[in-house]
Amino acid sequence: MSSHGNDPRQPSAAKPYVAPVIAPQDLPIDYAGFIAVIFGVAGVMFRYKLSSWLALIFCAQSIVNMRNVENDLKQVMMAMMFSFMGLMTNYFGPPRPGAKQS
Amino acid sequence: MAIPKLFFIFLIICIFFFSTLVQSDSHFEGFDAEDDDAEFEEAPIDPASLRSPPSQSLSTDPNPNPTPSPPSDLPKSTPPTPTTFDFWDDDEFEGLPTDEQHPDLHVPITDPKSTDNTNTTSSQDQNVKPQPRSFTVEILCGSFLIMFAINYFTGKKENENIALSWASQFAAKDSIFEKNFSLLGIGDGGDDTPLLLKEGQTTFKFYASGRRYCQGLLATLELKSRHDLIARIYNMVVPCKDEITFEVYMNDDAMDHVVFAMAKKKAAKAMHKDLRDLQRFATIMSPPTSRKWVSDDLAVISESREVASDLITDALIEQVFGDKSFEKYGKGLISVHFSDNHPGIHKKVLLFKFVLPAAKNMADMTRLVALVPYYIDLIGRYKLSSQARSKTEAARQKVAQEVQKELRNIQQEAMQRRKAERKKLMEEAEAKLGAEAIRKKEAKERARQMKKAMPKMKMSRGA
Repeated sequence: MSSHGNDPRQPSAAKPYVAPVIAPQDLPIDYAGFIAVIFGVAGVMFRYKLSSWLALIFCAQSIVNMRNVENDLKQVMMAMMFSFMGLMTNYFGPPRPGAKQS
Repeated sequence: MAIPKLFFIFLIICIFFFSTLVQSDSHFEGFDAEDDDAEFEEAPIDPASLRSPPSQSLSTDPNPNPTPSPPSDLPKSTPPTPTTFDFWDDDEFEGLPTDEQHPDLHVPITDPKSTDNTNTTSSQDQNVKPQPRSFTVEILCGSFLIMFAINYFTGKKENENIALSWASQFAAKDSIFEKNFSLLGIGDGGDDTPLLLKEGQTTFKFYASGRRYCQGLLATLELKSRHDLIARIYNMVVPCKDEITFEVYMNDDAMDHVVFAMAKKKAAKAMHKDLRDLQRFATIMSPPTSRKWVSDDLAVISESREVASDLITDALIEQVFGDKSFEKYGKGLISVHFSDNHPGIHKKVLLFKFVLPAAKNMADMTRLVALVPYYIDLIGRYKLSSQARSKTEAARQKVAQEVQKELRNIQQEAMQRRKAERKKLMEEAEAKLGAEAIRKKEAKERARQMKKAMPKMKMSRGA
């Protein structure tokens, strides 16, 4: 179908690939990282372990979908810190005030 | 696509999260403070109601001797009241019902002992109590994380396999692209240069260049997010497909005025609405009666009837787009879009969008991929008739004028806005200064203008 007589190739016209420059604001927004931060903060504030666990899961999703490491790592690290902090206080920290009585 | 998807997930999780919050209300001590206060306020109103009713104490009392307990309970009700208030002070008035039980349980056994002792025993009780808590959350989340990790590696492998099988099918030795382009891959032409460029886990890019009529070709494989378990679960609800997009950047002198698109009927309508160049130059064509035409599923958007009939040749109808062959070979077609007025850096672009078959059946899309070089040649050679050409030229000029007008309007608006802002600032400044200052300023200005006029006179005199 594509054979139109002679060889269509033209080595002289070859141009190497130039990666298009994408402005950082045009990159797709990292929703997973955003959700992870929200859950992480909620987990620490309310001392609610499920929230911290969910934050950890969304951290994993955010890391997995990361395109360029330098840009996105900050947010993910923050979310990770929050979720780990939440988990630490939950399991190793002082018992919740409610845990004494209930 | 990705934005509503993630928000959907987020919403579901939020609903789940808050429903669990409501269920586990008792864990949130700090937030129930108001309720507890209310309980506390109610408590002094009727202390007798807080004390366990005699009938209940009878049923819970382990003492086999029922008769002494009501009298022992009644006189003791006066001394324990301060102790119970101690409890409330310490522990934020939590768990009133347990408070009721503790004195009832302990007092008969440890009759002479002090209140301190009861305090310690009760605290021991509470330390023992949370032991049998359930680990469902931990187990669920932990196993989900493990599954997530496993799925990441398997899904990544799967996606890579699909991309590699596509590359080996169409970009290896003696394949379609190897026969058509002199430079394959993103490198500078060596033998070892990688064919595919991986961006993220789902996007693979293939670049080719060095062919007549075009500057280069960029194929982008957009695969499903197989590596992401959450996206995978979401895709079970809202299925999506692996797609490949070919962008061919034509040489500026190799493409005449052509605006043409073809897609499934519904998609074609959406394209006509969304894409600016199609909206401006082209209309959805009704199928001609005089000749064989593309399958009924497809709709053609074109600038003129002439362009459409020249770009859909009999050979193409027979091999890909006709009623019979489309069922067999063309199923993977999403859209074809050629334009010499494409928005972006490259103006003259051919776009092909296909569905990728499974890694094993990559050969199924051979005919679709073969469309790419075929159309490069067809459009590279294509020249409009002079009549059609004058029409298209007029249309392009009109559009260009419109664009210029718009630009000018925008500029003018911006200028006016700036002027208005400056005026406003001046007025504000004037309002700040008193009337006296304004008069002074005016006098100064008049003096300046006089000064300005003076040298002119001098000059004229000197000359």
